Formats: sequence, structure tokens, C-alpha cells
Amino acid sequence: MRTEAFSEVQAGYAVARKPTIWEVLTSEKYFKWTLLIPLLVVLAIFMLYPLLYCAYYSFHQWGMRGEAIYVGAQNYRQLLNDKAFLEALYRTLKVLVICVSCELLIGLGLALLWSREFPGENIVRGLALLPLLVAPLILSLLWNFMFEYDFGAVNLVLQALGLNKVYWWSPQRALYTICFITIWQWFPFSTFVLVAGLRSLPKDVFEAARVDGASPWYTFRRLTLPMLSPLIMIIVVLRTMWLIRLFDPLYGTTRGGVQTELLDWIVYRTAFVYFDIGYGSTMAIFSLVLTIAVCAIMFKMLMRALGGAR
Amino acid sequence: MGTLGKVFFWVVTAFVLFVIVAPLAWIYLTAFKSPNDIFTTEARKLIFFKPTMENFNRLFREFPFWDNFLNTVIISVSSTVVVMVISSLAAYSFARWNTGRGHLLFTTISTRMFPGVVAAIPFFVMYRNLGLLDTRFGLALLHIYFNTSFATFLLYGFFKEIPEELEQAAMVDGYSRVDIFRKIVLPLVRPGLAVTAVFCLVWSWNEFLFSFLFTRVAARPVTVLISSFWGSIEVQYGPMAAGAAIVILPTLVAAWFMQRYIIRGLTFGAVKG
Repeated sequence: MRTEAFSEVQAGYAVARKPTIWEVLTSEKYFKWTLLIPLLVVLAIFMLYPLLYCAYYSFHQWGMRGEAIYVGAQNYRQLLNDKAFLEALYRTLKVLVICVSCELLIGLGLALLWSREFPGENIVRGLALLPLLVAPLILSLLWNFMFEYDFGAVNLVLQALGLNKVYWWSPQRALYTICFITIWQWFPFSTFVLVAGLRSLPKDVFEAARVDGASPWYTFRRLTLPMLSPLIMIIVVLRTMWLIRLFDPLYGTTRGGVQTELLDWIVYRTAFVYFDIGYGSTMAIFSLVLTIAVCAIMFKMLMRALGGAR
Repeated sequence: MGTLGKVFFWVVTAFVLFVIVAPLAWIYLTAFKSPNDIFTTEARKLIFFKPTMENFNRLFREFPFWDNFLNTVIISVSSTVVVMVISSLAAYSFARWNTGRGHLLFTTISTRMFPGVVAAIPFFVMYRNLGLLDTRFGLALLHIYFNTSFATFLLYGFFKEIPEELEQAAMVDGYSRVDIFRKIVLPLVRPGLAVTAVFCLVWSWNEFLFSFLFTRVAARPVTVLISSFWGSIEVQYGPMAAGAAIVILPTLVAAWFMQRYIIRGLTFGAVKG
């Protein structure tokens, strides 16, 4: 009885006095939204604005000077017939497939090797993870020098071993050389994600399989691989997300030359070298839609793989 | 494991470590080489040479290395501070109330999927009109943009780990929502905040696309300076290696000390390595 009366008094008090803005913002009902205000402001400025801007200019012809001319869907028609753009798109997908599959294979192999704890593990792990946090641009400059034809370390070592020097930056090889640099930097990532996965697998299932006389290959294919699939999914999704927008390794090496132009590079070249904002925006919108589509599908798969945990 | 298995294990492990460490060590070797030793065709000189400080001297004397280095420090530290404030608030809201039922969280994370050039075009035009091109403030704003989504998602995982009962108990004790956040949740999530902040610092430190497009001279970060040594006319491998040796040092140290968290950070908290 007493508490009820007390709360009525309180309620009456609250009605009588107009709550301050601070009280409203931190009230039980609105607090969760108050916390989000700064984030929403950032999203509105940095996501909505560029999106609307690019969408608007993708229907215009504008070179940063003078008036923008409305041209309808002409930019989009041009894009679908633009050989350079389609080639860049094809190359991007090629890099994506090569890098993701190589990283997964190397990662899986090494993860199986390192799946059990071993002496000196901390040192191995510490050294192996180093490339992940080093600026990709600096690593690409480094590899650009290492793969140099005359003075590059790789060719000098090949020569010392009695082999022929290789022209790593030829139009036939350059794209693969760039793939190599990316794989070199990122294979520790998939390796240690999978190591974490292997170590968290339930031991009794494998014990049972061993007792039943299952061959190691059978165990790997029927037990290990299916149980690792959520993690493999995570690796594929995240690497796809990052690889679609590969830019730094190109700047440090070929700068889009010798048939290595990728998606982000051609957008950069159109908008910032030729200052063709209209057409550049069209390309940007296209690559955005592509990324979102690919990632939305993968995000769904990722969520399912995680068992709806988040 | 038999003896043969052990030999195989250590041979492969040693090979992998060599492949990873040798190129990094190469930066430091090159940094101390004279031009003659850099442009050599003798394999022996890859390792055996007379060390010199020439490259560092040239880097400090002829190029604005420390000015650019300072730009990098100012931009990465200031953007990280702002990002941490914005994202810790938002991540707490997402973790505790599932605000926006996942859609908002997905929208947030999808900004990380945005191709950088999509934001670059409108902001380049806008910055040109506002006079923000080639200013540290302008570049820091862009770094805030691309780090916020990452930090929010990573922190979301750390906030999720705090049991809700703890907060309910505090509410019974008469704590307000603001007090709970400040006095109970934040101290508990401190390790997560530290990890996230270091990641943001590293991403901002390493960022290249925006830095390269939005700065020229005054606000130029050090990565852009180093990239300029690889020019179309002349390639200055000496100063490039010397600069790289200094610039990657903090990130190498971070990688070594954060090794427990790197996998967690890179998977946005999904895998606890």
C-alpha cells in the first residue's frame, strides 16, 4: 500500500514539473536512442550524403567545372559497353577467386599442422601475425623492390641458385604478382582463424571416430571440414569485402599499368585523374551495388553460419 | 608424432616463418645500405654489406619526414579519440537493447564495405568548396568515418559479454542509466576499449587511399611521403626503406603485443583466436 501511494506522489510530481531535456534523453525509453545520436550523425553525413550525391551525378555529365548536364541513363549505357571497365571488373573477380582460394588452402594446411599446441608456439604466432598490421602500401612497395628485375632480391636469389631471372612485372604476370603480395600478407589471417576453430572442436567425436576405425581422410572430410564451415564462411565473407576494394597494392607497384587495373583503380582514374565526376559516380554506384549485393548475401550466410548468435 | 613427423613439422614451420620474416627484415637491411649496395647484382651483398646511416640522414635532411610523421600521429590519435566516444555509446546501445533490431547494426557495418572511392568523390568536391583539402582536420574526419563502423562492431562484442544481471542489480541500488554506463559498464569493458583503440590507431596509421587523395603538402601523412619515393622518374629505394623502417615499427610492436586479439579484431569479434 505504502509503495503504491509513494509512486503516485512521484508520478504527480513528474507531471507537475516539466522534465529537462537531459532527463528525457536519459529516460528509460529514449536512452538507447540518445546513445546512438552521434553514430547516426556520422552515418548520415558519411554514408547517406555520398550515396545520394553519387546517385545524382551518375545521371549527369560534369567535369568539376561549369554546369552539370542531365543526360539520363547514358552513363549507365556507356558503362555496360566500356571495355576497360568490364575488364577491370573481370580482373577484380579473378583476384578475388585466386586470393581467397589460395589463402584458404594455405591456411587450412598450416592450421592442421599447428592444430595441437607445441613448444615455441607464442613466438611462431607472434611472428606470423606481424604482416597483418603493417600498412599494405608499404608492403607493396617492399615487394615491388624485391621483385625488381635487375636488383630485386628474388631474382638475385634465383640467379644464385642457377635459375633464370623472371620478369615479374610483365603484363602476363603482374596481376599474379599482385595476388601473391596480397596472399603473402593475409594467409596468416585464415591460418589462425582456422587454428582457433580446430582447437575448439569437441574431442570426444574424434575419439569415437578413431575407435570406429575411420581413416584420417574420412574423419577430415566428414567431421573436421563440416565443423569448420562457419569459420571458412567468415574468412570468405571478410576477405571478399576487403578484396573488392583493393587499391594500395596497385599504387605501390604497377599503378594500374601492365593490365592490372582493378575496380577501385578505374573509378579513381576516371574521377580523380580525368575529373569526370559524372561517369566516375556511375562506376562508384555500380561497384557499391555489387559490393552490397555480394556482402548482403554473404552476411546472411554468415549469420546463419554463426547460428544466429548475433 | 614420430621423428619424421617432427622433422617435417619444424621444416615447414621454419620455412613459413622465413617467408614471413625475411621480407620484413629486408626493409631493415635495405635501410642501412649505401646506394651501391642497394643497386647491386651480387647475391652475396644481399646480406653482407657495410652498414651506413646515409639513408636516414638524407631522409631527415632532404624530406619533411618528421613533419609528415607528426601529421600521421595527430590525425590517427585525434580520430581515434572521437571514434572511441561515438562507438562505445552506440555499441552499448546495440548490445543492451538491440536497438534497430539488427538492421541498424548491419547498416553500420556495411559502411565498412563501402568502396572508399564512393565516399571520396563527393567529399573531394565538398572539401574543395569548403577549403578542407590538405588539412589535418579534413583527413581526420574521413578517418573517423571509416573507423567508426569497425569500432562499433568490435565493441559490440565486448559489451555483449557483460552480464545484464549486473546492471539490473545496480538499478535496484538506485543507479541511473548514465551512472550504470559510466561507473559499471565502462570499467568492465576497459580491456575491450584498449584493444579497439589500438586497432583504430593502426588502421588510421596505415590508411592510404584518403590520405593520398585529400592531402598535398601541409597535412600529408607519412605513408604518402613514402609512396612518393616510388616515382615515375626516379626510385629512391634508400630513403624509402629508411622511412618504412621507422613507420612500420609501431605497427610491428602493436602486432606483437596484440597477438592474442588480432584474429578477434579482424573478424569483428566473431572469432576469439
